[in-house]
Amino acid sequence: MAQIDTSGGGGKKKKGAQKKMQIHVDFTPMVDMNMLLITFFMLCTTMIKSQTLQIVLPTNEDVKKEQQSQTKQSEAITLILDTEYNGDKPAVNAETGKTVHNIYYYEGMADTTFANPKYLQKEQFVGNVNREAQGIRKILLNKNKQVMEEYAKLKEQWKNKEITKEEFDQLAKKNASDSLKTRPVVVIKPGPNTTYEGLINAIDEMNINQISRYSIELPTHTDTLLLKHYEQTTGETIIRPTVRAKAVQAPTASAEDATSKN
Amino acid sequence: MGKVKIKKKSTLIDMTAMSDVTVLLLTFFMLTSTFLQKEPTIVYTPSSVSEEKVPMNNLVTVLVSSADKSGKMEDPTLAEGRLFISFTGDADSTLSSEKIRGMMLDEAISVYNEQHKNNKIALSEQQKQQFRTSNMVGVPFEDMPKFLSMSVTERDKVQGDMSGAEAAKAGIHVGIPIDGNKNRDGRLNDFQIWLKAIYNVAQRINNEQTEGLSAEERSQLSNLYTALMRKGQGIAIKADKDTPFTTVQTVFDNLQTMKLNKFSLMTALKSENEPTQ
Repeated sequence: MAQIDTSGGGGKKKKGAQKKMQIHVDFTPMVDMNMLLITFFMLCTTMIKSQTLQIVLPTNEDVKKEQQSQTKQSEAITLILDTEYNGDKPAVNAETGKTVHNIYYYEGMADTTFANPKYLQKEQFVGNVNREAQGIRKILLNKNKQVMEEYAKLKEQWKNKEITKEEFDQLAKKNASDSLKTRPVVVIKPGPNTTYEGLINAIDEMNINQISRYSIELPTHTDTLLLKHYEQTTGETIIRPTVRAKAVQAPTASAEDATSKN
Repeated sequence: MGKVKIKKKSTLIDMTAMSDVTVLLLTFFMLTSTFLQKEPTIVYTPSSVSEEKVPMNNLVTVLVSSADKSGKMEDPTLAEGRLFISFTGDADSTLSSEKIRGMMLDEAISVYNEQHKNNKIALSEQQKQQFRTSNMVGVPFEDMPKFLSMSVTERDKVQGDMSGAEAAKAGIHVGIPIDGNKNRDGRLNDFQIWLKAIYNVAQRINNEQTEGLSAEERSQLSNLYTALMRKGQGIAIKADKDTPFTTVQTVFDNLQTMKLNKFSLMTALKSENEPTQ
């Protein structure tokens, strides 16, 4: 392991000169052991802490009709979520390796006469392309323009260090719930085949677009009607038998459709 | 002709520098690490832009198992939707985590016995100790005594085997029952009993009605109530990204029924500019 080399520098030795001692300590076993320990710690640690997304659900109790909140038709937008399946596994986009979620959305009241060609439109979660909002994000952004314009200003201020992070958070929150601005009310309706990721993506879009008013509901019969008509006109299959048979739940009875009229 | 001499070269490599580096790395990992908690099944959480970190202290994690990914099971969806629950008191001292688990268990069992007057369960002190030291538990109350008298390795085996073969062998059901939300004539299912116990314990700590806690421990635990009721940080749901929404919805529904409307969902971090699909 450790050895003392007393051979000196070789060559001629001066008489009386001190012997140079070179000490070699072999560190190899030490390194071996350290590597083992590092491997152990690397495998056992969680470097990235999970993030949390907070949601607040409404109470389960029956709410009287008078107490239900009413929304302006121009502000309402309904997103019906769906996840594409490939057999019994969620279908994956070959390019990005991510699950394919579709969103069918309509603005205002559900148009059961199908008179308006935009009674149901299809979008996807695309996110940003070259820092430009795309897909459903673009639509929500346009809906929430007034808030987002103010938000962009605040962000700029924060970037220029005019305001602190805390101030920014506070102002952004205030801005998002500013009742003087036209803000959309989003109803997220995860269809029976939606995966958990689809729901999280939708809530995520709400946070990105600073939408303070959204709710999560189950699709109603009216929504199914729209989807069926959309299927017939476009030839797509949306309403498939639920992939997970045991997870089937009857959608909650839908008297609430009538109440959101305005 | 003189022989060509081959020079003897020393093959010693100086490992000192290498050793220095490894020691540095080791120190880094040792100081930054928090150990992964043992979980019966691996779930991959979906990602979101939320930057809020999972709280280290005073957290109840509800794990929803995903469909089997190992490919060993004939019907992978059978493994889906099993619930496991874990309690964390203070991450820095295991003592208060154990204390809080003990309190939750006592409370949950008293709620259970109140509801099942003909079928009460009783745990020995030793079995309670086993519960306090284990991280995630996901068995119905009626199987609890049998489950807690098993050894740690046996318990891990039973909970970790999603095909249920090990559990069937041991005569235990894995996963906290959650069936029947409101249609139970006022009787709570096992998951709701846990939630009720969590609420009761948190409230009691908040009202300083607990005995056998030191002042320090109480102050550590007192945040639980605020986290639970006001901030919605007390309960975190951890589910796989491919788990159907309907399965998660059942959990949401039960939380709503128990009036715990604010809670967190565990996600991984992603940036706004990343493609979503």
